Formats: sequence, structure tokens, C-alpha cells
Amino acid sequence: MMTDVDTIAALSTVPGLSAVAVIRISGPGAASVLSSLLPLGCALPEERRATLVELRDPDDGSTLDRALVTRFAAPASYTGEDMVELSCHGGWIVPGLVLDACRRAGAREAEAGEFTRRAYLRGKLDLAQAEAIADVIEARSRALHRAAVHQMDRGLSDRIADLRARVVRVEALLAHHVDFPEEDDAPVPLDTVAAEARGLWRETDAMLATAPEGELLREGAVAVLAGRPNAGKSSLYNALLGEERAIVTEEPGTTRDALIASVELGGFPFRLVDTAGLRGDPGRVEALGIEVARRWLEAADVVLFCVPAQEGLTEEDEAFLSEVRGAPVVLIETKADLASDGSPAGRGAHAAVADKLRVSVRTGEGLGVLRERVRSLVYGRVLGAGVDVPVLTRRRHADALRVARTELGVFCEALMSGVPAEMAATHLRLAESALEEVVGVVVADDVLDVVFREFCVGK
Amino acid sequence: MRSRYDVIVVGGGHAGAEAAAASARAGVRTLLLTPDLGRVGQMSCNPAVGGVAKGVVAREVDALGGVMGRATDASRIQFRMLNRSKGPAVWGPRAQCDRAMYPVAVRAILDELPMLDLFQEMVDDVLIDGGRVAGVRTRGGMNLEAGAVVVTTGTFLRGRIHIGGEAGLSAGRAGEAPSVALAEGLERAGLKVARFKTGTPPRIDGRTVDFSRTERQDGDEMEYRFAAYCDEVIPAQRPCWITWAGDGLKQVVRANLRRSALYGGEIAGRGPRYCPSIEDKIVRFPDAPRHQVFLEPEGLRTTELYVNGLSTSLPADTQLEFLRTVPGLEDVMMTKVGYAIEYDYFPPHQLRHTLEVRGVPGLFFAGQINGTTGYEEAAGQGIVAGINAALKVRGEDPFVLERDQAYIGVLIDDLVTRGVDEPYRLFTSRAEFRLLLRQDNAHRRLGPLARDRGLLTDEQGVRLADRLEAEDRVLVWFEETVVTPEVAAPVLADAGSSELSEPTRAIELLRRPRVGAADVLRAARPEGGDVPRADVLATVEVELKYSGYVARERARADRLRSQADFALSRDLPYEGFRTLSFEAREKLAQVRPGTLAQAGRIPGVSPADLQNLVLEVRRLAGATSFVPSGADG
Repeated sequence: MMTDVDTIAALSTVPGLSAVAVIRISGPGAASVLSSLLPLGCALPEERRATLVELRDPDDGSTLDRALVTRFAAPASYTGEDMVELSCHGGWIVPGLVLDACRRAGAREAEAGEFTRRAYLRGKLDLAQAEAIADVIEARSRALHRAAVHQMDRGLSDRIADLRARVVRVEALLAHHVDFPEEDDAPVPLDTVAAEARGLWRETDAMLATAPEGELLREGAVAVLAGRPNAGKSSLYNALLGEERAIVTEEPGTTRDALIASVELGGFPFRLVDTAGLRGDPGRVEALGIEVARRWLEAADVVLFCVPAQEGLTEEDEAFLSEVRGAPVVLIETKADLASDGSPAGRGAHAAVADKLRVSVRTGEGLGVLRERVRSLVYGRVLGAGVDVPVLTRRRHADALRVARTELGVFCEALMSGVPAEMAATHLRLAESALEEVVGVVVADDVLDVVFREFCVGK
Repeated sequence: MRSRYDVIVVGGGHAGAEAAAASARAGVRTLLLTPDLGRVGQMSCNPAVGGVAKGVVAREVDALGGVMGRATDASRIQFRMLNRSKGPAVWGPRAQCDRAMYPVAVRAILDELPMLDLFQEMVDDVLIDGGRVAGVRTRGGMNLEAGAVVVTTGTFLRGRIHIGGEAGLSAGRAGEAPSVALAEGLERAGLKVARFKTGTPPRIDGRTVDFSRTERQDGDEMEYRFAAYCDEVIPAQRPCWITWAGDGLKQVVRANLRRSALYGGEIAGRGPRYCPSIEDKIVRFPDAPRHQVFLEPEGLRTTELYVNGLSTSLPADTQLEFLRTVPGLEDVMMTKVGYAIEYDYFPPHQLRHTLEVRGVPGLFFAGQINGTTGYEEAAGQGIVAGINAALKVRGEDPFVLERDQAYIGVLIDDLVTRGVDEPYRLFTSRAEFRLLLRQDNAHRRLGPLARDRGLLTDEQGVRLADRLEAEDRVLVWFEETVVTPEVAAPVLADAGSSELSEPTRAIELLRRPRVGAADVLRAARPEGGDVPRADVLATVEVELKYSGYVARERARADRLRSQADFALSRDLPYEGFRTLSFEAREKLAQVRPGTLAQAGRIPGVSPADLQNLVLEVRRLAGATSFVPSGADG
């Protein structure tokens, strides 16, 4: 027998101080690697039963650790190969020693994403599921996590498979029409066929409705705090971050003029950007900062435009607001605690403003409402979609579905405008291929590389 | 007859006739052996050629220089273009033929070939020497040497006929002896064998039919020829008749079901789902109110009719009883009983794409022996097997048609890579690229290939060149001619299409719905000029009118071809590819596909398997020190 598949091992938990570290071994030699780590004469643990064992150095027999070991036989394992999972002690020394012992016993260090890649290549997962696993692990918001878990559970794959099967069915109706002209049964009328296809178009379209927002779930929507100097932007920035400190990380690359931080608002991911104050007659250094702010405004998914409650909008503010393109604007009247009553002193609303509310960082007034508003402005469609509706979180999926939608639409038009059925059917076949791409029916090697590059070692 | 030939063809049906003719046209000494020379090209079932997809195959065989198109033109007594209400890409030319004239025409065409000898003799064994074919042994004990042998024995291998529930009668066709020794001989050569069944309906005496109770169906008045290189004289035309089998027939069939060979348990082999016996139709579709029956003329000089739609294996008395329940047939007299026939076939995954048997160099199979049904499917295989047998003897490269080149390519690739689990018939939906594979462009697709391989006579070559040139001229005319709004107005008005606002190329005009090539031509050239032939115009019209679709399909075919070009060598160690599922490894090792695309068409090979296969092959190719090891079992 030729050795085509080698055996890999990797630490699956984060290196460093921890009570437990998990090491996984996968491949035809998994059991023999484990066996080399067990004391002489010690039998392999029973399959699928967590067993406490002593781990020994395969060369000098010295004791490395005591570990809980579970053995899985192919194909009933994550990768579809023989696998061993070792739960040893964590910390700086033990995991490294055990991994090194695995290497000497015949395993090699896994490459990034290799466990999941193997699972995909063994048919344990399709491409969409493999991607979902990366998302489950890397999710920085509960919303992405929810979408990813659903996708990992074949939510997206089943939906795609169902769509594809129904496109094939439409094709079959046409085949009957074309291939059996002299049969007892009359052929299915073309408008029935077109109606089926239109139904599929609508479903594809509905799936795409969440795509732009779904893609934001991965990186976080850009929420830009803007307004004239001293409008309370920075206080608001800190207030929004402070409450969610636990899952906030400062991003590198922050310029001196714009601060960026990832934050979860109401369970959804945002990149909160604090910009330089906007004003008409800045000095030279300040002008650079304003230029940066303008660029962020262009990239914004939502703009939080701050004005002090007691002052209201100025002409200058309005000039800046007019420059906002596309993104909804929430007008925030800050320092609400300092204002005398509900009505602002300055100008009223502006055309670009989608919503207006009062906030006081000091009293906390309005912060909860603000988070809620910002979340629904950006993620309204995802929030409105049912729990069992797959959210498209990747451009790759959305692009493929867009192709499918287009082809289904053109198919209906063609069929109804008198293009012969067998010509129009070309579009159905193109729609099928597009759907197949999502779950990865024969994809090019380089696509695979891109997909699996996102995994860090051991997943 | 000589004692040594380059190629010997065993069998004289549609596959055998094409194989023998192709081999002889390729310029090698060829012998056709058959038990009855009076029945070369015999239509054992329905006397008709063509239909949806099958008609395209008949045209493809003709484009390759074959027999079928000419014999059909010379014997056809009704012509219809099926699917005419649909797009031209799926039009199916179908001809009702005179059962007596067709074989006469076939024989006349074979007799034109100086390199072909015919001899009447049954073959009992294929001689194999040192692992490769050496010749055949006849029933009379003669050993004839050959460089290649093409076996086209149809339903004759251990054929067994069933009429009613009796044990069955050994026969190759009604009244003809089966080939038992040959079947055993081939089995001894290590080939796997399996069994199929098929059936035919009864024939009736037209003088006892009340046609007033049936619906007359005339042929299409359409200038059409199957043969592209030769103008045969087309006989007088005859109508068919349509009637319907209803409740009366259902009752008779139900009451006698146990006496049917098919339902009485006499027959084990599988039959075709899409060519069911009347027993099948009534058992499987009990709610269908009625079934269509076509009464088709058997010939110009006979009153006999073929009862298409009532294929059966019920006993003769029951056949007569159910026939007489059908409107128009109340007093009918039967001339021949219908019967079911069971026969051996060799599961075709044992073949290469040249139709050569794997592991037995020089031995080729074509036709029903490979598990197909239909004269056209048989002819398509026959011509490919005959060409390849000749090329093999001459030591030249094999001739293989791809799936985007011909229905014949689809047919053979399906047989070889997918195998069959019921008698195989072609449909347009089996072809991924049916817009490219049309009846109107068969000569354009295949003519040049045949000419380059020396399969066309000089005269045929000239006809082909003339035809292609005429088409090109019209194609160019449509591309280059600009039509003014005034000239286009009447054509567009007739088509119910909006007027032009500015001068427009003729090709754009033609792309509009309901605008025909002839209309545009007539409007743009009122003075007449040299008018292209109708068939030339028809080809050009489809080519241009749907060029957007055709181009898209062409692009898809090319894309898949680049994947298909991922070559898999025939000796890959599939057993060792442990990233593939067990089933996939087994199937791949059995079929040994030549390309990734073929691998993907094998049932049981999943997309994940394909992906792994690519990686395994790359790994294998890239491995510098690839050492076998027994270390990990």
C-alpha cells in the first residue's frame, strides 16, 4: 500500500498559560503515533471513550504528562480520517513536549487549516460548512456566530441544494417537453415552467436581501463619529466602548487623526471610528485630520453626527452632512444633561438625517436607545429575517447567488418572449453551476487555498 | 472470399452494415459475415428511422459517410419533422420506411464498396492469439484471419423469444436462430455478460382496418434529405393512422396479465422504461385513460401495418383479443404476433471510447451487444467501431468523437463511462451541448473530420465543400449586408416586430422573433439573385438566429473541456488513493477514465472524490521519491 496521506498533529488551543491544552492528531498513523506515546505494553484506549493515560517520551520513555485521550476511527471523525485527541496540561512546557514527541513518532506539524481541509476533501463538510467553521471560531459578534452556526449546520448548504434540485426539476420539465413529443401526456405548458422558475428567482432574491449586511457581519460595519470640534464625539466613543470593553480590541493602524475600535452593539459587530472635528477654517495640521475624517465618512455604513444639545445644527454642520453619501446619519444631541429642555437651540433636521436622539454620557441617558437605533439602521434586514434563513456572510456566496438569480431571470424572460425552450435552458444550466460553486462541487485548487488560508493552525 | 482480412465484421444489422462500410471506405480489406445475407440492414422492429435526438444521429452517421441516411432517403414512405413547434436545435427528422426497400438499399450501398466482401455464415468463436484478436471461426469450421474483428450481433447472443407465459424459444429474431456458441466463446475470453429484454408489437392486415374510425396523419411537406452527399430517389409517400387504446384493452390486458412473459416471471432481464410494453403501461400508469396507438405502413406494396404502441409478450390469442378492442380494429386480422426477446449484452464499461474491448486488442463491439436500443444508436456505434478497427489495422490514431462534437460522442461516452442499467436510448437531455448538436449542422460538425480521415469519396468531398461554401456565403451576406428601415418594414410588419429606426445589419434583423432568413433575403434582394437551397438557408438561419445562445454554449463546452483536459493516465494506482471513497476507487479502477471530466460522469464518484483525485494525481506527479511502503497497512 502506498503512503499517500501523512499524519498531522497540532495544538488546537491557544499556547500559553492554561489548565488544559488540546492536541489533535489526524491521518492513517494517528493510532500508531498515540501508541508510541503510551507506556510499553499499554493497550490503545477504546474508540470514542475518553481514557486517562500516561504520556511517555517515545525515545527515552520519560513521563511527559497525564492526559485524557479519545480515539476516533475513520470515517467517523472530524477529518474523516483516524484521529486522536489529547487533552494534556497547558502552560509553556507540556504542549510543546507532547507535540515534539508526536513529531518523533511520525506525525508532522499541520499546516494552517489542514484539519478542516482534510474534512472537506473527505466529503465530511462542503465548502460553505468549512467556511462556517472558520467563522464560528473567529466570530467577534454574537450575530456572526449565530449565522455561522446555522451555516455550519448545513443551513446554507441545504438551502442551496434545495434550490439546485428545483432548478434541475425545471430543466426536467423542459426535457419532457423536448424529448417526448408524441407521448400520451401533453407536455407541461411553458408558462407553468416559467412560473416555477420565477418562484426560484424570488427565493434567490430573498436570500440575497441580507447579503450586503451579512458581509458586514464579518468585518464589522463602519460607524463614524463626526461633528465639529468639542461636540462630544470622543466622550461618546469612550462610552460606547467602555460598556462593551470585554470584547473590544484596539486595531492597529489607527492614525493620529482617527481612532478605530471593534465593538459589539446589541450583539452586532461595528468598527467605531472617532474622527477629527470638522470645521470650515482649520489650520494646516487640522486640515489633514479633516481630510481623513472625510474619507471615513465616504466609507461609513452609518454616521453618528454629534452636536451639543444646547447648540443644535449649524450651517457648517449642514455643509458637512451634505457630503455624506449613502450611509444613514443619526443626529446625536450630546450633553443632554446640560440642555435646558427638549428643543435644540440651533437649526432643526437635515435631509440626510435618518434619526435624531439625545444622549448624555454623564447620566447614560439615551445610550441604550442609540445602540438599538444604530443596530437596526445597519442590520435591519438581518434582524428582520427569520431565524432559519441563512445569512450570506461571504462575498463568494453572494456573487454566486447573484449569477444564479440573473440566469433565472433571463431564463424566464427568454422563455416568455418566444426563445425556444432548449435555448432558454442554457440559462438554467448556468444557474446550476453558480449554485454548485457555493458548496464547492469541483472548485479550482487556488479557490481552495484561499478558503483554507483563513484558518490558523490546528483548526 | 479470402482466408485473411484486415477487418472482419460479425453481423449484418445496422451496426454491422455501418462498421463494414466504414472499414472498407477507410481502405482496408473488410469481410462482413452474417447468417442470412438477405437480411443485411433488416429493420427488426419499427420500420422507421430517426426521431428526437435519434434523427440527429442518423444525420451524423451520414455526415461521416455512412449508409443509414442514404438507405433512409431511398426507402422512406413518410417524413415528419418532430418538435417542429419547438426550437430548431431539437428538431427530430423521422422517416417511416418501406421494410422491404430499406435492406435492399443498404445492400446496394455495400455493393458499391470494392474493399468489402460479404459472406453468409454464422460465426461460432472469436479467435484470440497471445491476448489479441486473430480472426474468427465459422459454424462450418473455417478459420478466417483478421487484424481486427467487430462483433455486432444485436439480440442474437443467446436470444430467447417469449410469446405468452411459456418457457420461451431460442431465437435471435422471430424465426431466426440465435448465436449461442459465440456468446459462450466471448464469455470464455473473460468478458462479463448481462441480460436485457425488449419487445415488439403485433403486425396487422391493413385490409381489415376501418380507417374511418382512426385519425389520418400525413407526413410533412418539407424538402428534406437525410443524406448530405447523395440525392437518392425518394419513393411515394404514405400516411400513418392514429387511434387510441382505452378501457376495453385495459380489461383484456389485466385479465391476462399472468399469461404475460413479462409479468409471469419468465423474463428476468431489464427492459427500457421509455419503450414500455402495453402490460407495463397499464400496470405502471393505471390511471391513464387511454394510450396512443400509431398504425404505421410496413411498405408501399404491402397492406401490412405495424401497431406502434402495443408492444407485448402476451399470448397470441390475447393479442388478437386486445387489438379488437381498439377503435378501427374491431375486425382486425393479425399477420405477426408481438413478442418479447431476452438477450445477452456485454456491459459496455468493458470498452474503450474507440469501442475496442479493454484487454483484447483488435476486438470491437458495436450496437445492441453493448446494451443500447435503436437502429440509430447501433449505426452510430457501428461506424465508430468500423473506423477504429480500420485505423487500428493501419496503425493510425484512434477516432473518438467528444460530447460536444456529436450525439454519437455522447452515446459512446455514456456507455463507456456510465455503463447501462436498462437498454440505452439517446435523448437530447443526455447531451450537455445540444444547441451545438443539431440535425441541420451534422455535416458541418463531422464532414470535415470524415474527409480528413479519408472516409469520404472524392465526389462526397466535393459535395461537402460546395455545401459548406454555400453556407459560408450566406453567413457572410447576413453579417455584412445593411438593411434600410424601408426595406425591412414589410418583413418586420409580418413578424409583428417594431420598425427599424436606422439602417441595420441583416443579422440583427434575423435575430428578432419570427423573422426568417428567407424573408430577409427576399426583402433585401428583390431582384432575386442566386437563391440558396432551402437546407443551406435552414442551417444558416439557426446558426445566426441563435448565435448568442450557441456561443454561450460553446463557451461552456470549452470551459468544461479545459477541465476535461486534465488527463488521467490509464494506469493510475487508484487502489492506493486512500483519500477517495472506497466506492470511487473501485469504480475508477474499473472504468479507468482518460480525463477528469469522464471521471466525474461515473456514478458513485462524488465531487469530493474528484477534488481528491486531482490532488492525488498532482501529488503523484510531483513526488520525487515516491516509494511504496507497507508500513501502515
